[in-house]
Amino acid sequence: MNEVKVLGELTVLDDVGPPRRGRAYPAAGATSALLLPAALLLGALVLWPVLRTLHASVTSDGRWVGAEHFRAALAAPGTGAVVGRTVLWAVLVPAVVTALGYLFAVASRRSEEGGLVRLILLVPVALPLVVTGVTFRLMYDPDPTRGLATLLAARLTGRSADDAPQLLGPGLVTVALMSAFVWAWVGLAVLVFRAALDRLPPSLADAVRAYGGGRRHVLWDAQWRPLLLRTVAVVFALVALGTSRTFDLILVMTPGSVRDDAAVLALRVWQTSGGTTTGQGAALGVVWLVAVVAGMLVAAFFVRQAWPPPRVEATPGPAPTTPPRRLFRLLAAGGAVVWLIPLVVLVATSAHGQVDAAARGWWSAPPGTGSYAALLGGDELWRALGFTLLLATVVTATVLVVALLAAYPLAWLTGPAAQATGLLLMAATVVPVQVIAGPVNEVLGVVLSSGTARGLALVHVALGVPFAVLVLRNAFADLPAEQVRGARLGGRRWWGTLHRLARHNLPAVVAVSVLEFVQVWNDLAVGLLFSGPEATPVGLFLAGQSRGFVSNSGVLAAGSVLASVLPVVLMVLARRQLVAGLVSGGVR
Amino acid sequence: MTPAGRLSRRTLLRAAAAGAAATAAGCAGGGPSVQVAVVWSGSELDRFREVVATYPDPVRVVSAGNDIDAFLRARHLAGTSPDVAILSRPGLVTEYAARGWLRPVRPSTEYAVPIGLSDLLLAGGQRYGVWVKAAHKSLVWHLPSMLPEQPTSWDELVSLTRRLGALARRDGGPAPLAIGAADGWVLTDWFENVLADLAPTAYDALAGPDADWQGRPVRDTLDRLAELWSIDGAFPGGGRRALLTQYEESVIQVVRSRRAVMVFEADFTAEVVGRFRRGPEEPVTFRFPSAGTGGGALIVGGDVAVVFADARGGVELVEWLTRADSFRPWLRAGGYLSPNTTIALTDYADPVRRQLAREMRGPDTLHFDLSDQLPGAFTGSDGVGIWRIMQDFFADVTDGVSAAEAVRRATGQLAAAARDAGGGR
Repeated sequence: MNEVKVLGELTVLDDVGPPRRGRAYPAAGATSALLLPAALLLGALVLWPVLRTLHASVTSDGRWVGAEHFRAALAAPGTGAVVGRTVLWAVLVPAVVTALGYLFAVASRRSEEGGLVRLILLVPVALPLVVTGVTFRLMYDPDPTRGLATLLAARLTGRSADDAPQLLGPGLVTVALMSAFVWAWVGLAVLVFRAALDRLPPSLADAVRAYGGGRRHVLWDAQWRPLLLRTVAVVFALVALGTSRTFDLILVMTPGSVRDDAAVLALRVWQTSGGTTTGQGAALGVVWLVAVVAGMLVAAFFVRQAWPPPRVEATPGPAPTTPPRRLFRLLAAGGAVVWLIPLVVLVATSAHGQVDAAARGWWSAPPGTGSYAALLGGDELWRALGFTLLLATVVTATVLVVALLAAYPLAWLTGPAAQATGLLLMAATVVPVQVIAGPVNEVLGVVLSSGTARGLALVHVALGVPFAVLVLRNAFADLPAEQVRGARLGGRRWWGTLHRLARHNLPAVVAVSVLEFVQVWNDLAVGLLFSGPEATPVGLFLAGQSRGFVSNSGVLAAGSVLASVLPVVLMVLARRQLVAGLVSGGVR
Repeated sequence: MTPAGRLSRRTLLRAAAAGAAATAAGCAGGGPSVQVAVVWSGSELDRFREVVATYPDPVRVVSAGNDIDAFLRARHLAGTSPDVAILSRPGLVTEYAARGWLRPVRPSTEYAVPIGLSDLLLAGGQRYGVWVKAAHKSLVWHLPSMLPEQPTSWDELVSLTRRLGALARRDGGPAPLAIGAADGWVLTDWFENVLADLAPTAYDALAGPDADWQGRPVRDTLDRLAELWSIDGAFPGGGRRALLTQYEESVIQVVRSRRAVMVFEADFTAEVVGRFRRGPEEPVTFRFPSAGTGGGALIVGGDVAVVFADARGGVELVEWLTRADSFRPWLRAGGYLSPNTTIALTDYADPVRRQLAREMRGPDTLHFDLSDQLPGAFTGSDGVGIWRIMQDFFADVTDGVSAAEAVRRATGQLAAAARDAGGGR
C-alpha cells in the first residue's frame, strides 16, 4: 500500500471512487485484447453450443419441427417424475443444507472444539462427488453383513436381514442420494455462515438491546435483516445450483435396476442424448437450462434486495461474547461425530483386501493392505493421478491468466453495464455441461480434436472461466481506493497495475485457483463426456471401477482415499483465503 | 505422392493427438502405426496388446471404454477416426456401413466362424467386419459339492428350484439361484436362452425390422421365466435384494459366501471365480437346460473388428487378426474363446474354454446375443431399453404380480420400445 503522498496526487486521484473509475480504465484497444481470450472461449464453447442446443431442440435433421421434441420428451413415460424429482432436489436439499449449515455455524462459534467441528465438516466438501458416492454406497450396501446402515436399520426396525429396509432400493434411493449430497455440502454452508456471522458488527446487537429488544429482535434486526437474509439466499442458491451435480452421485451410487427411480434431468438428458445433442435430448436440455437460469435470476434478485451489505469499519477482532450454550455445543460435537462415520467406513473398507471387502463387512475381517497393494502395484491409478494432476494444474493456470486479464477491464464498469456482465457471467457459470455436450464436441472437432487430452482441458477452461472472472472482477472492484491509487502510481503500464492489483487481491486469486484445481480434480461429468482414450482422469477411473461395485469395493475404497488426499489438503490449507476471497466478491 | 504431400489435416490432427498422448501417458511415439480402438479394458486390454505385439508393424491400442459408439461418433465428427475398431455390437457394424464410414474387409483363408455369426456382418452383399472374440452365454455354474445332480431339462430345473427354495425358506439353507438382476444384461441373457430354445425362428426374426414383440413366442418365453423367477425362496434375500445384486456379486454368492447353489452366466464368469473362489474346489458348468429333449440353445456374444474408410494398414491388420495363430498369446494365457473354428482345440490352454470351443462347433445352431442386435436405445444400458424392461418384469414376478399381468406389461413395453427405436411392433 502506498501511503506516501505524491505531488499532484490529491487533484488527480483522490476522487477515484466507484462512479469515476473510468479514469483508470485501460485504453479501448488494450481492453478488447484483454477480453479476447475469455470472450473467444466463452463464445465458442458455451454461447455457441447453447445456441446450437436451442436450435437442435426445434429442428430434426435441419428441418423445423416446432415444439414437437418438447411434446415428445415431456410425454415420454417417467418424464413427469424426473422433472418432479429434479425440483424436489433443488428445493428440499438446499433448505436442509442451509438450515444445518446455520445451526452448525452458530453452535461451533467461539468454542474450543468449534474449530475441529468445522474442520471435520469441511473434509466432505473437498471430496470428489464420486468418492462421496462410493462412501455412501459402501454404507448403504443392501447386504447387512457389509452395509453398516442396513445392519443398523435392520436392528432398529427389528426385522430380519432379508426384510431390512433397503436404502438403495427403488423406494428410498432418492433419500439415500440426498443424504450423501447433504453430507458433502453442509461444510460449505457452515463456512459461508460463519464468515457472515463474523462480519456482523456486535454494536448492532447492542444497539437493538439498548432499545429494549429481546432475543428475537436481536436475531431479526441485528442479524437477519442486515446480513443473514442475503447469506441464506446465497447459500440456498449455491446449493440449489449445485444439485445439478447429482449426476455423479447417481452414476456411482445407483445399481442399474433403480437408476430410473433416481433419475433427474441431468441423468435423463445424458441417457437420451449421450455425446450428441439432438431431438428430445436437446429439448429436455433446454427445459433444464431455462429452469437453472431462471433460478439463478431469482437468486440474483434476492441478493440484490439485500445489497449492499453493511461496510465493516473495523474487523471485529476476537469477540468477547460468550460461547453458545452447552447443549448447542454438544449437538455440534455430536454432529461432527456423525459426519465422521462415512469417512471411517471408507478408510476401514480400503484397509481390506479385495476378497474380504467384497465378501464380508469391514468390521468382521482382519485389516490388510491388499487393495492398496493391488492399486499401487498396477500403473492404471498412477497414470490417472498423474494425468489429473497435469490437467488440473494446466487448466487452473490457464483459467487464472484468462480470468485475470478479463476481470481487470470489467472491474471498472459501473451501473447497468456491470450488472449485465455480472448476470451473463453467472448464467455462463450455471450452464450444465450435459446440455451442450454435442455442440461442444463439434466445436472441438473443428478447432483441434474431440476425445483428446487437450480438448478435455479446453472444455474445463471454458467452464471454469466465467466463475473465475466473476470472483476476480468483484474483488478488483471492491479494492479500497488507496490501493488502486498505489497500483496506478506504481505500475507504469496496465500489466504492472494488474500485477499489483492481483497482489492486493491475493485471497481472491488463491480462492479461484484452489476452487478451479479442486473442481477439475474432482470432476466426473466433463471427463465422461469429453475425455479421450489416451488418458483417464481419476474421477472417470473410479466411476469405471464402480460398474462392478461389490467385487471392486476394496480397490474402489482405496482408490477413493488416494484420490481425495490432494483436494482435502488443499481445501483445508486454503480455507481462510477461500472464505475471504469469496466473501470479498464472489457472491454478489 | 511425397510424404509431405500426404500431410493432410487428418494426419496433422492424428500427429497432434499422438503427441498429446505421448506427453500424457509417457509412452514413446514414432513411426506410422495402426491405431485400434477397442472395447476392452484391464486384463483383456493387456492380453490384446500382447497379441498385436507380434504383428510386424507397430499397432497402437486405445481403450474406448464401454460406450465405444459415442466415442467413435465423436471421433468421426472430429475427422480422427481410428484405423480399426473392435466393437461388441454387430448392429453397429451394419449401421456404420450404411453411413459409409467403413471399408469392406477380407478375412484370411484360415477364418471360419459358425453359421449364424458371419451373416450378421454383411451389408449390401459386402463383408464389413470379422469376429475376433466370442463369449459362450449358455452356462450354469455351480460347485459340485453343493449340487450333486445337475438338472437336464427346464422342468427339472424348475422342480429343483422349488425344492431348494422351500428348504432355504424353512431352515435357511442356500437359495437355489443367484442372479445379478441389477445388471440388465443378465436378465436379457436369461430371456434369450429361453427364447432360442422355445422358438429359434422367432428369435432371429426379433432382431429384424419386422419384429413382433407381442406375439406368442415372446409371451411364452416370459411365461416360462415367470414360472421360475416367481418361486418363493429362489434367490438369496428374495427378488428385491436380487435387483440390487450385480453380476459379480451373484458369482460371489455361489463360489464364496455359498448362499446360493447355481448361477447362470457366460464363460467370462471364470475370471470372477478365479478372484473369489474359496478352497480348492473348482466350480463346474452345465448347459442352460432345454424344455425339449435336445441340448438346449446356444447363445453367443462376441466382438467384431471393422476398418474405417480412410484407414491406413487397417485391412491388413484385420486380415492378420483372422489367422489361426494370431491370438496364440491370449489362448495360452487363458480367458479367450475364439469364434474361429479353424483353431485347433489343442491350442486352448484353458480346459473350460477348450470344452466350450468344442460345443460351439457342435451341430446346434448358434444364436447371437439378441439384445446386442437391437436398434438404438432398445439395445439397453443401465435404466434404458430392454435392460430396464426385463428388470421391471423381474420386479413384477418376484413381487407377487400375476404372471399374465406381468407378461402383458412387459410385452407392451417391449413393443413400444421397439417402435421408438425404429423397428418392430
